[in-house]
Amino acid sequence: MRKALTLLIALGSVFAVVLAGCKSGDEVGPGFNDDKVFLGLFVSTSGDIASFGTDTKNGVELAVEEINASGGINGKKIELRVEDTASDPQQGGNAATKLATGDSVFVALGAVASGISLNAAPIFQEKGIPMISPSSTNPTVTQQGDKIFRICYLDDFQGGACAVFAHKDLKAKKAAILSNQDDAYSTGLAKFFKAKFTKLGGEIVAEESFKKGNSDFNTQISNIKGKGADIIFVPAYYNDVALIAKQFRAQDVKTPLLGGDGWESASLTKNAEGALEGCYFGNHYSQEDKSDTVQKFVAAYKKKYGETPSSLAALGYDVVYVTKAAIEKAGAFDRAKVLDALRGLTDFQGVTGKFSIDGDRNARKSISMLKIQGDRFLPVRQIAPEEVE
Amino acid sequence: MPEPVGSGILFGAPVLPLLDSGVTFEAILQQVANGIAKGSVYALIAVGYTMVYGVLQLINFAHGEVYMLGAYASYYPAKWLGYMPDAGEKPKVPLVLIAGLFVASMAFCATLGMLIERLAYRPLRNSSRLAALITAIGVSLLLQNGGQMLFGADPKGFPRFMDQESVSLGPVALANTKIVIIAVTAVMMTGLHLFVQKTKPGAAMRACSYDMRTARLMGINVDRTIALTFATGSIMASVGGVLVAMDQPRLTPLMGLLMGLKAFVAAVLGGIGSIPGAVLGGLTLGVAESVVGTWSTTYSEAVAFVILILVLLVKPSGLLGKSGREKV
Repeated sequence: MRKALTLLIALGSVFAVVLAGCKSGDEVGPGFNDDKVFLGLFVSTSGDIASFGTDTKNGVELAVEEINASGGINGKKIELRVEDTASDPQQGGNAATKLATGDSVFVALGAVASGISLNAAPIFQEKGIPMISPSSTNPTVTQQGDKIFRICYLDDFQGGACAVFAHKDLKAKKAAILSNQDDAYSTGLAKFFKAKFTKLGGEIVAEESFKKGNSDFNTQISNIKGKGADIIFVPAYYNDVALIAKQFRAQDVKTPLLGGDGWESASLTKNAEGALEGCYFGNHYSQEDKSDTVQKFVAAYKKKYGETPSSLAALGYDVVYVTKAAIEKAGAFDRAKVLDALRGLTDFQGVTGKFSIDGDRNARKSISMLKIQGDRFLPVRQIAPEEVE
Repeated sequence: MPEPVGSGILFGAPVLPLLDSGVTFEAILQQVANGIAKGSVYALIAVGYTMVYGVLQLINFAHGEVYMLGAYASYYPAKWLGYMPDAGEKPKVPLVLIAGLFVASMAFCATLGMLIERLAYRPLRNSSRLAALITAIGVSLLLQNGGQMLFGADPKGFPRFMDQESVSLGPVALANTKIVIIAVTAVMMTGLHLFVQKTKPGAAMRACSYDMRTARLMGINVDRTIALTFATGSIMASVGGVLVAMDQPRLTPLMGLLMGLKAFVAAVLGGIGSIPGAVLGGLTLGVAESVVGTWSTTYSEAVAFVILILVLLVKPSGLLGKSGREKV
């Protein structure tokens, strides 16, 4: 009898917990109280792409600190809630659920990797919480719903802009492409580059690809060598790029290489050991930009973290200020009004340039083309969206 | 522009589609040279698979990780000696120290190989082959993940052994590091051949691979011979690790995964259990991958594996394998 009673109590409490769990799962909190507004941040601070998440978080925290020091947003201080997505889309979904339910956040910021953003977006969309990704470039991210935004440019623009730069600025007539066939980012950029470059009248003389994990690129390089390319487009991540550049030079190919934002890393030039001298890549901003906004940010970031901010840090910084601008424009802590304000945001001046949010909830902004000199990335020029369309 | 791979290649008539797509004979020669460099490394690792299989009929899946650790085992001493500075240009490593780093890596991997055998495989020597195989996969995973914990998942560079430059050899050009790889591999293979064929421990190894029980009856210390087999295979893999790190300086705890798989395939292609077979298999796989890559780098690995399947269909025991009786 006693046993049965214990069992009943145990079952009952399990049931109660489950019920309570379900109940809190359906609620969406207002996201603020009398003196605070809650902002959620979900990025990967552990796992494969931990450095991307950590940089973003550093940028976000710097912005939050500055805003709170100057009185907060409409009189409310920001309380930041950070969830680690552990470089895993599944974990991204869990983090989003955690931020969206119970004592919900007012606006959610994240993620870096498009795959993680894609898993998180439907959750925020359903709960009616605005989500702003600082740096997911895959076109489908903001197609998840009318509450999903981003403040970075898209891969189609980035690939096209590189083609414009190669053709107009570098006067390249013939281009070769070397991309990572296992990575959607890389193949996407290669596709958009090719389309724009041939449309401009250029010729693609070689189109080679490699597999994830390859570190011997000599087969591809031998195929590209002797085709007379004026520029070699390598839309890959920095670790691959450093090796590729070294192997090109070891085969006596001196043609400049060109790439996208995946190149950005302090270890790029260190690992390439001079092989990337005089090469170019497109990025979200230039640390060497002389404008006040950028220099103020770079100085503050260096003071707080002791390193030069990457573009992910800059985008993290900007995404907080975009949120602030939207709430101030809305004039009230009301998610519907903030969503409207975000949709109509124009000429926002951030560290990563001046931009507006377009009808598809994407940022319309310029790309900074940089030239590698020593271990510095020098700005060459900016390419505006109008030039690529 | 990569052309879709014509069926002509698979049926032994590579010259015809070649003329259409503008691939020159020189280009093929260049890819053969690239392939020999690539295949040399496959061969260095493949001999480790083949020797262990020859003696124990065990696929030592942890062998790719020995290769990975071989690279790290020369990276860290060089770093501690100041050849991997945090900033500024890397100093060139003097020749004596390069030799020292190779020896350090070989000693480390030999010990590691024997340790793996002693701790993971010897206790299971009399249990089913499946148990040993699963243990091998376990050891491989342990080393991969242990490496991620110990070294971190972020890729590391490598000290500067020599400055890469292109060397012309008639119609082809190879990086000097590639030539070093091919030369060192040739020396190591010759050494291994002499060791196995001309020395007493080598004879003991061959005896164990013919018949372990009889070898034991003839007074051969079987345990010691097996340990020696693991040590020898690991030394070859460690040399491969240092050579690749020198040529392609990107060390990651997972770098042994793909390389181990390719080397295993090379060993099977050449005829597992046969040392010359492993060398031939490695070179064949490397050259096949590179030459197919002249038409399409997207499909080069797939086509290389199709070639492997075709070879095994015709000759199931591999290129140089003996189709002998199943050992009891």
